[in-house]
Amino acid sequence: MNPQERKAAGGLTPESAELVETYFARVHGALLVAAADECEETVDDLRAHVYEELAGTAGTAADVTRVLAELGPPEALAAQCADVVSGPAPLTPESRDGRSPLAGTLLGMPYELRVPTAERIAMRWWDPMNPNILVPRVFGLGWDLNLGAVAVKLGLIKPDDEDTPFESVPDRWLAVSAVLPVLMTLALVTLVALFQSALPAQVAVHWGVSGAPDRFDSKGSALVLPVVMTLIGLAILGSAWLRRRPPLSRVAAGALAMMLCSISTAAYAQAVATAYRASESGVLLAVMGGSLVLTFAMLVTLARIGRAAEMRRDLDRTSKKGSV
Amino acid sequence: MGNDTDSRLSQFRKGVVVLAILALLHAGEAYGGEIVERLASHPGLAISAGTVYPLLSRLKKSGLIDSAWRESPVGPPRKYYRLSAEGGVEFAAMARAWDGVTDAMDDLLGNGASR
Repeated sequence: MNPQERKAAGGLTPESAELVETYFARVHGALLVAAADECEETVDDLRAHVYEELAGTAGTAADVTRVLAELGPPEALAAQCADVVSGPAPLTPESRDGRSPLAGTLLGMPYELRVPTAERIAMRWWDPMNPNILVPRVFGLGWDLNLGAVAVKLGLIKPDDEDTPFESVPDRWLAVSAVLPVLMTLALVTLVALFQSALPAQVAVHWGVSGAPDRFDSKGSALVLPVVMTLIGLAILGSAWLRRRPPLSRVAAGALAMMLCSISTAAYAQAVATAYRASESGVLLAVMGGSLVLTFAMLVTLARIGRAAEMRRDLDRTSKKGSV
Repeated sequence: MGNDTDSRLSQFRKGVVVLAILALLHAGEAYGGEIVERLASHPGLAISAGTVYPLLSRLKKSGLIDSAWRESPVGPPRKYYRLSAEGGVEFAAMARAWDGVTDAMDDLLGNGASR
């Protein structure tokens, strides 16, 4: 509480002041939910106004309740403010990240150090309504790819094809996004089963930009990173499905698991390829590029299945209405 | 100066853009691309697709507008937006408030200019 507020609150009993503070704490909470942090200033002004208003009264709990009732429920107030101030672009970094020191811009590059929620990750990777292809990183420094914007730019979907991404997609199709990383894991298991015992004791574990190996390790250690990354991918995927996250989160978890599993499989495949044909390079890039394309194709296909489901629902309804 | 003007414009626009969309839909239903196009034809508003689509989604969630896929006279079906009953009421209230503001501002700006 700054000095000015303390002075303003001075005329009230602690109980009354606490009522006001509780009310505005709820407004602030609701603003966070609405991702409208930039309303904070307006709300602070409003709080100062409430204290001014109360200064002209006895400052009893009844007075506080009456004044606050004029503002309506805290959630409604926050929603109203959020609509006016940041309604048009709830997900732009400027309006969303507000003034939190954990997120902002450093030397012209956005950074994000708050722990990402599954929803926030999903919204950045598949946000067809946002025309920006590069979006501030979910965590860390730099940008992420908004595959939704890529799909819109390529004319594969329209920004508003689905009301909420993947929400109308039937469950059996959503499951495809979980099956792909599992298949990728099976590919890794198969490679390990086929080649691990036949590999030389020392294998390549890192490659330069040209594709030439620049670091070697024992073949056992070469397995550690791929296995750990695959397990992380599968854990993210399993958690999204077991906890019945919204469809967008489940699909995004599938996409993330797909990337982790395919990097692992690609790295191991490259190690095998290097051991057998030292000149062979590009397996890593080919598998990773292929799986990025596959992941993108999966997202677009699911979006179009969702659109078709919405269309069927609406067109059926109109034709029924028309026949009555 | 350009930047200053831009930021002032964006401040104005934020308050106006909801009313602009509701007004457009009050005149009749429209699909997303059409809404973007018709708003873009008013350069003074400077509203882009990146603003319109998230806002349509928000207005739909708050119940002021409805959307539904409908056969289009040309080409594939399209998702059309229209005002809900609640949206109609809200639009009328907002339009009245807007008239009040513009009358007051015309008055103030007019006085300022003649001084």
